[in-house]
Amino acid sequence: MNMGKSVKFALLGATAALAFAAPAQAADMNALVAAAKAEGQITVIALPHDWCGYGALIDSFKAKYGLKINELNPDGGSGDEIEAIKANKTNKGPQAPDVIDVGLSFGPTAKAAGLLQPYKVSTWSTIPDAAKDADGYWTGDYYGVLSFVVNSDIVTKPPADWSDLAKPEFKSSVALAGAPRTSNQATMAVYAAGLASGATDAAKAASAGLDFFADLNKKGNFVPAIGKAASLAQGTTPVVIFWDYNGLSARDAAKGNPKVDVIVPKSGVVAGVYVQAISAYAPHPNAAKLWLEHLYSDEGQIGWLKGYCHPIRFNDLVGSKKVPAEILAKLPPAESYAKAKFPTLDEQAAAKDVIAKQWDAVVGATVAK
Amino acid sequence: MAAPSRGDARASLRLGDWLGVAPFFVFAALFLFVPTASLLVGAFQDGEGQFTLANIGRLWQPSIVNSYRLSIEVSVASAAAGALAGLALALAALRANMPDWVRPTLLTFSGVASNFAGVPLAFAFMATLGRLGFVTLALRGLGLDIYSAGFNLFTFSGLTLTYLYFQIPLMVLVMTPAVDGLKREWSEAAETLGASTWQYWRMIALPVLWPSVAGAALLLFANAFGAIATAYALTGSFLNIVPILLYAQIRGDVLHDPNLGYALALGMLVITGASNFGYLVLRARSERWLR
Amino acid sequence: MKRGHIGAWLVLVAGAAYFLAPLIATFEFSLRMKRGEYSFEAYRVVFATSEFQGAFLYSVVQALATIVVGALIVTPTAYWVRLRLPRLRGVVEFITLLPLVVPAIVLVFGYIKMFSSSSILPLTSTTFGADALLMFGYVTLSLPYMYRAVDTALAAIDVRTLTEAAESQGAGALTILFRIILPNIRSGVLSGAFVTFAIVIGEFTFASLLDRPAFGPYLQLVGANRAYEPSALAMMAFALTWGAMGLMQLVGGGPVAASRR
Repeated sequence: MNMGKSVKFALLGATAALAFAAPAQAADMNALVAAAKAEGQITVIALPHDWCGYGALIDSFKAKYGLKINELNPDGGSGDEIEAIKANKTNKGPQAPDVIDVGLSFGPTAKAAGLLQPYKVSTWSTIPDAAKDADGYWTGDYYGVLSFVVNSDIVTKPPADWSDLAKPEFKSSVALAGAPRTSNQATMAVYAAGLASGATDAAKAASAGLDFFADLNKKGNFVPAIGKAASLAQGTTPVVIFWDYNGLSARDAAKGNPKVDVIVPKSGVVAGVYVQAISAYAPHPNAAKLWLEHLYSDEGQIGWLKGYCHPIRFNDLVGSKKVPAEILAKLPPAESYAKAKFPTLDEQAAAKDVIAKQWDAVVGATVAK
Repeated sequence: MAAPSRGDARASLRLGDWLGVAPFFVFAALFLFVPTASLLVGAFQDGEGQFTLANIGRLWQPSIVNSYRLSIEVSVASAAAGALAGLALALAALRANMPDWVRPTLLTFSGVASNFAGVPLAFAFMATLGRLGFVTLALRGLGLDIYSAGFNLFTFSGLTLTYLYFQIPLMVLVMTPAVDGLKREWSEAAETLGASTWQYWRMIALPVLWPSVAGAALLLFANAFGAIATAYALTGSFLNIVPILLYAQIRGDVLHDPNLGYALALGMLVITGASNFGYLVLRARSERWLR
Repeated sequence: MKRGHIGAWLVLVAGAAYFLAPLIATFEFSLRMKRGEYSFEAYRVVFATSEFQGAFLYSVVQALATIVVGALIVTPTAYWVRLRLPRLRGVVEFITLLPLVVPAIVLVFGYIKMFSSSSILPLTSTTFGADALLMFGYVTLSLPYMYRAVDTALAAIDVRTLTEAAESQGAGALTILFRIILPNIRSGVLSGAFVTFAIVIGEFTFASLLDRPAFGPYLQLVGANRAYEPSALAMMAFALTWGAMGLMQLVGGGPVAASRR
């Protein structure tokens, strides 16, 4: 790690923070580490070990600072994390989450509800403005794009684009990674399919996406089950629309049995950003801040990259040549990400609104039994 | 019966009776009512905590009404089929002079299977009856292609079939004591008096079993009504039952309107209460017959 | 019932086919981890994780505690309602159905709020308190099944006569309950115990959000996003739970089965 650079950034960050007279500033690392060790533990929530290499990041944090990590609800969604903060407002036990990792749209709403406390990490200035809250209440942590994850033992002609999925060779093959009302992956997949058809306005793209899936369903190509690594391998859902990092992680876990390919579509490439935040009621605020420092350090960001998630400081790290070549080689080619669309908060809200309201009517069981 | 003396005894034992059920009510208050109270209160609040009936109003949207209807249909289907099949299985295993190992095997297996649900169960059925499921492939090898004949696991019927995996064992376990209670003397007496097997069942055994069957069927209904994990994993994108809507509002990654979620849960409580009431009416009538 | 023997066998065989097919499918898939051959690789990977035994043991202890507490709460209640408070039956049965439809997440968050570290009874701040809170949560979850099983068993015996006979011999309420009623409803309590045991072993939401090292969270952590490990875990959990129930059956149910023949 280049100490000189981070000190410079820390000074920049401190100056900027002073200008706003905000209490959230990059703290002195040694004091922070000591305070965190005094707290002794940190509670995280909804972090599966196979998601973005969190397993390795948790282990490295434990090894480096010796803190105990309580892991709540690795199966949880963003709503779970928000509700957990709310339920634990008066509780200082290990059931209260200190940090959360939620979808982009949940950052501002949680801030408005007073559930978060601000903290600007020492590498704050290298994070793009669009991916962070100006006051430091939430910070973008990583992103990925939606991709087709294909069981190549069963699928002989891999799909290159959304329109390929409607071909007859994909009969009873295509599944989403969640239900469109509850899962960000699924809702964004519908939106992405709509973008591929040429629509640019969010609500229109959402409608176009719904029509696409209705067509898939009518042709018999759509499987309503929730696609997972197991159903991908077993063959019931040989094509699943996952975030690329989930697909790549499934590919690695399968170890060639079956052969799994992760294909970023030619059009309709949608990126999803997740954000990190500290709970306003965190029982271990210093440990939480140290966790954030760990994640946003070069080491932490590359840790996410090892889990196939593009860390939010990706461009900065690539520019300063800090990314090992072998990791870059394992990712899909950079050109696939060139056309990635990062939907704004408004666009996401508009798309979600249309999809949640009309999925049933257009694709669901109210169409036919 | 001993009505007069029971009346006096009842008056003097009143305090003692209430003491007898007190632990239950204290437990229910602490671990059921109070936590659920936030649900009841939340259903009538908006995002800022102000009182509102808007959440209840939104329950009458066609998509939500359809969702309730679908939930009730799935629950009734799996409860009815589960009750019949479970009763048949219990009777076959316990009343037909089976070898000694049948009873403990059935009961212990039912114990495990009664909670085999969610993602593992959905996957097990996909691996059995999915397009590449082992039964599907085996049948195709025998020349019978169930999918071209119209079968599809990812439908209402497929989901009901999957639900039966935990509904039937539950029925077996709950009905075992009642089936055990069918005294051998009754069937022997009936035979002595010249009754056929069918008459024994129709006039003695089934009426005696009926209140327990009804209670067990109600349990199966509520069990299916509140179940989410299996439905989500198997047909989550297709059949939108109420627990999935609830999940979407309180727990998911997309929408987040906990107050609407609480209103949905309140609706489920009301439906459960109504079905409980219906069951009580049915049961009271059958028990009057028994006296 | 000497006739209908063939019919009974057919029902049992059909039932066995329905219940075994998905298990065979899961088992077969769990053996496929190595490409092109059957092996126990998935099981080896799972066993290699150190927390398996600890998590399973923790859940077993919780399950046994839940069964005891649950039976102690349910049996007197069902007995009294049946015998002396029949008008309460509807209310009590509705209460016992509530845990099936109230979402588990609402319950557990309710517990955290009620027993938080700043409340009168800060169960969440100590390990033992959190364990106890989890156990009470499990009792709540298994309440519908335990109650229904015990109630069905009470329906099958003549509670009134037994009670009056015992009272005429001078037995007090507790004696009647524990030495006369309970032994006669053993099959009901055992049925309830089986369902409770299975529920506790597999339960995830309560244990995970209360931060307790139970088997459910372990299953999720090890198997969630893998291809073959979940099937191996499902088979192991199934086998172990079945084995444990077999033991419970031996301890609690043997003589009753014999007397019913």
